[in-house]
Amino acid sequence: MQCSALRKNGFVMLKSRPCKIVEMSTSKTGKHGHAKVHLVGIDIFSGKKYEDICPSTHNMDVPHVKREDYQLTDISDDGYLCLMADNGDLREDLKIPEGDVGVQLRTEFDAGKDILCTVLKSCGEEVVIAVKTNTALDK
Amino acid sequence: MNTEFIHELESAANILMAPPNVVTNEQRHAAETIIINFRKSKSPYVVCREILENSQVQYIMFEAAELLKSALIREWSFLQESDIISLRQYLMHYVMNRTPSAFVQERLLQVIAIMIKRGSVEDLGQERANILSEVENLIIGADPAKQVLGCKVILNLMQEYSITVKTTDVGLPWEVHYKAKRQFEATDLKRIFQFCVQVLSEIIKSDAFSSPNILNLIKYLLTITENVLTWGYISHILPKRIIGVYESVYEADQAPPLRLATSWKDIMLAPQLLPLMFQVYWKVRDNDELAHHAMTCLVQLASLNGSVVSNEDVKMQYLTAYMENFLKLITSVNIKNKESLGISNIVRKLELFFSSDLTKLPQNLQESYLDDITRLTCTFAEGASLEEAEGSDNKYYMESFDNMLEAWTTILKDFKDSANEYLSLASMRVFNTYLQCHLAPPDGTRSHNDDQVEEIEDNEDNDRIKFRDQLQTIGMFGRVILDHSLPVLYKLLEERIEKLRAHFQAMQTQAMTIAESTNLDNLFEDVHWIILIAGHVLCMDSEGETPVIPSEVIRYCVQQCTNSVCTLDATLKVMASVQQFTNDLDCVDQCDHVIRIFCDVLKLCFVETSAAEIKLGHFTSPEVGCTMMWFLNRWCLSYLMPIESFYDEIPQTFKGGLVKDTEGAIFLFNVVLQKIRANICHFNSEPILLQDTLNLFCDICSVRHKSIFLCRSEGIWNLINLHGKLEAGVLPSVIRRGLCRGFVMAGATIAYQEEIDNYYGAVLKPLQQRFKNLLCQENFNKIYQEERVKNEVIDIVEGFIGIAKGTQMTTVHLLFDFLAPMLAELPKFMKIYNNYQVIVQLILELFGQCAKCMLCYLSQLDSKRLYESTLATIQTYTKCNENRFTTEALSEESSFQDLTLTLDLLTYILSKDCLDLSPANPNEEVTITAADISLFGLNFIMPLMTTDLLKYPSLCAQYYRLIVLINDIFPEKVCNLPEELLTKVLISVEYGLTQFGSDIVQASLDFLQGMATYTYKNGMQNSNIHQKLLPFLKLLLDLTLSHQINSDIICTASCCIYALICCYSEQYNIFVQNLIQSQSDPLTAERLTAAFNQLMNNVPFDGDRFHKMKFRDNFDKFISNVHGFLLIK
Repeated sequence: MQCSALRKNGFVMLKSRPCKIVEMSTSKTGKHGHAKVHLVGIDIFSGKKYEDICPSTHNMDVPHVKREDYQLTDISDDGYLCLMADNGDLREDLKIPEGDVGVQLRTEFDAGKDILCTVLKSCGEEVVIAVKTNTALDK
Repeated sequence: MNTEFIHELESAANILMAPPNVVTNEQRHAAETIIINFRKSKSPYVVCREILENSQVQYIMFEAAELLKSALIREWSFLQESDIISLRQYLMHYVMNRTPSAFVQERLLQVIAIMIKRGSVEDLGQERANILSEVENLIIGADPAKQVLGCKVILNLMQEYSITVKTTDVGLPWEVHYKAKRQFEATDLKRIFQFCVQVLSEIIKSDAFSSPNILNLIKYLLTITENVLTWGYISHILPKRIIGVYESVYEADQAPPLRLATSWKDIMLAPQLLPLMFQVYWKVRDNDELAHHAMTCLVQLASLNGSVVSNEDVKMQYLTAYMENFLKLITSVNIKNKESLGISNIVRKLELFFSSDLTKLPQNLQESYLDDITRLTCTFAEGASLEEAEGSDNKYYMESFDNMLEAWTTILKDFKDSANEYLSLASMRVFNTYLQCHLAPPDGTRSHNDDQVEEIEDNEDNDRIKFRDQLQTIGMFGRVILDHSLPVLYKLLEERIEKLRAHFQAMQTQAMTIAESTNLDNLFEDVHWIILIAGHVLCMDSEGETPVIPSEVIRYCVQQCTNSVCTLDATLKVMASVQQFTNDLDCVDQCDHVIRIFCDVLKLCFVETSAAEIKLGHFTSPEVGCTMMWFLNRWCLSYLMPIESFYDEIPQTFKGGLVKDTEGAIFLFNVVLQKIRANICHFNSEPILLQDTLNLFCDICSVRHKSIFLCRSEGIWNLINLHGKLEAGVLPSVIRRGLCRGFVMAGATIAYQEEIDNYYGAVLKPLQQRFKNLLCQENFNKIYQEERVKNEVIDIVEGFIGIAKGTQMTTVHLLFDFLAPMLAELPKFMKIYNNYQVIVQLILELFGQCAKCMLCYLSQLDSKRLYESTLATIQTYTKCNENRFTTEALSEESSFQDLTLTLDLLTYILSKDCLDLSPANPNEEVTITAADISLFGLNFIMPLMTTDLLKYPSLCAQYYRLIVLINDIFPEKVCNLPEELLTKVLISVEYGLTQFGSDIVQASLDFLQGMATYTYKNGMQNSNIHQKLLPFLKLLLDLTLSHQINSDIICTASCCIYALICCYSEQYNIFVQNLIQSQSDPLTAERLTAAFNQLMNNVPFDGDRFHKMKFRDNFDKFISNVHGFLLIK
């Protein structure tokens, strides 16, 4: 995609990592110079910050980012999640995520709540990035 | 003796001043406690004197001075007059004879000044006069150190009197401060001024200038004089609120003009005053510090007005004297850069305060005045251009030049009749100088800094914004001398366009050298400025008004036609040639000058586009591109298809080539539209240029009487075709949005149904079709995450936003009917794309724009359709985000962006209740109001509004604005909110009172006052809301009593408290009793009781406006009284 067609909150590959654009500004060298785009992106998996600056006419790679919600049905003893997609397909290939979300997930699940997991997939990586407890209203 | 106590204080001070590694935390803490307790001592006069006498620790001496100040203020009314006098004499004696460090001395002088002021409230300034006599004797007779001390006493005294509103810490109500100030103004301020002038004149005579002591004394005398001349006199008819604003403005910004009463006549009009002040300046101008004060005096004297010069003769006498002295000064010195500021300010003030009088000056004075300021204006312009080139931080000349131009706007008007010829000459000089300063050699003098190529951020202002005022005035100069300015401009422009063309041609075959690249940059910069200047000569800024052709230009063109200098035939030929490279039309010199410049710019557009077509686009200048778009915008709005009835006369050339129905006008429109199309195709990677291009497009589409021709033109149909072919996700989305907006605006004036169907069909149908295709795909649920599908969604919604933004009253029906079915589908999109912030935000923005631009014209029925889709969308958004927990970095920032859009949307919806332009239909019943929707929406998003999010200032302000607005329009709806929501809202109001800046406190107070007044007036004593508001009474009283509410807002707070007392008079009485009983000191309790009694005196609590005002005034006095003796910290 042409660099100038990117937009804030969209996605872009920076230093070969899939990133969400959190800041985008343009500048130019000299008064009669041409636009350059300054991008600040956050790695969508690691949260690491990357920056890049390039002429606005350049083409940038845009990662294919997929996010899907799954119903959590079980957690296996070795820390794998049992997830059910909207169409009923089951999968058990994702581990319980590290950090706060993992803790939250475990607590809510132990409390017997209905949990929706958002799975983020891009560039061959896949991880649970958000959990959401279903309230009675949704059912 | 308190020797031991003083020792204790001193060691505490030593601990506090010690480096951190020497003392422990506990020691530090204990020392702090000792000092804090000391600050609270009552009747500390003896111990303070002992400290001043015996201690050597400056910190403790300073604390003693501070304590004296606060104790005196608090206990003044209980002190014996004799004690006060002896204390003051002691302090005076002390500062005279001891040498404490500067900050202790300053504080003691302030205490003395406060005592003098406080005393003058009672004796009307008698004592003050005596003290001033003493001080004057000191300054005349004593040694240098004491002279300076005397000056400092005067300065401190003036400081205490100068401000009234913010001096609440002196324990007097504002009215007393104000009275004291006026009394001081009427007597001693004049006396001080006279005294200083007298001493200055003697020093000048004595010729003892060089001694440092004398220079120091002059500095103080000039400071005092300056303070008198910049004194803020404030009319007694203004209310306190406004006076507060004046006082803070004077403090922050610049001095008020010198507006004096008749009583100053003999002082200000004394013949020796002006020569003296100019002489003083002359003598000190090499000393920067002194020169500054002296110059301020001169500037102030140039603004003399008020009843002191109400007599015309007197005024002319003063002005003549000032002018003679001023001209003598500026003709006999080489003006330095800092000095230029003062000089230009004098000119500006003279024009501001004596504008019409200047034309009555003797002829020779007038002439030299005009001559000199023309010369200075040019000098400053040159200086400013050097400053720019050097990139220096000091912009003295630039600011001075701006001041001069401001003065010129009045001069050009006032001297038009008396000195027309002179003005032409002056205008030509200034115009030429300005032009030269901005052109590269050999035509101009612009210097260029080769070695630094700076990075320029796109959010920096460009030249037309940065130099807007300057360019406007230069445009005025240009219009005075059109027969000079226009030919100069087109000649310069044409030369450069030809050079550019040749450049690009050469680059096709050979690479560019570095020298050529510099050359090219110089050409760009020249062209950029010529177009900027031409745009300002030909058109005036027309923000918010109908753009018109300046009358000077019309007159000039008519004359050119009458004298056969210009012919229609030649003009049309030149117009027809704008898309050719040939530059050798024989008839070009008979072309209308205004149209010729426009054609030159169009030709430049053509050169630029041609370069882009042969892949040389990266050598063009986007900056110049932007300037051209701006010029075309201005020019087209004023000149292309002008409204003929606006003008008495229209030149033949316009009539034949520019007015509606002429082929020329249609042709020019098409050329402009072609350029817009070319920019979209070739320069879409330049965000600013693209925005300027789309602005041009939307602006010409929005003019009603022109747009009808526009939407029949070939150019717009080419754009519509382009729009149909643009691929989603490839180009910046502003293009889709801007084009859609322009298209729907241009069609607003089409009258025939068939034409409407045809036009809008072409514009809208493709989008609709794409939307349908998306939805109807069987596997949409599977493919919706594919990039191309997401891009398609984004692109379509961008188009919808453009359509919403372009809606006008005449088209709302058609466009809403088009959008509504698709809006109804958007909640579904919100659900499936809830993980894609770009799409979520675009959908919220779309609803926001529909509410902002369409809702006010929609019928009840249509409004309801919009409400339903909106609510469903917000509800979906909330459902997807409630109870969500994520690892994503910056998720708070994302929620902030989403909620800002949502609050925007709710606020726009609410405005339907303020402004409804829909045709009234008696058959429609109002079943649902916009406020209901806003509240519903608020209910949905409330769970997402966390206190952390409220810390984003813009979101915070927006949230409070919304709840205040709802409350203003429908208090009954707020009262009947569901329990949970109401509680949340009230918690946020409580939060607003304590956690944020004063604007939020103000909003929270407004909300509470509205609520309380409503419940009181509607007798809702037993309601839920009544219970819930009660805690706010105590909270507010606590906050105001403990200084936690800014003095600016006390007014609003008191009105709010009044409303609350109306509701809860019983609880209020209990609060008061408790507060009084909790005082340990019986004297304080007694004073508090009295204060509360005065507060309630004669104020019935019945919600009446008049009574509320009365309470407000009482409360003001109450607070300054109570803050004096009640120590709640």
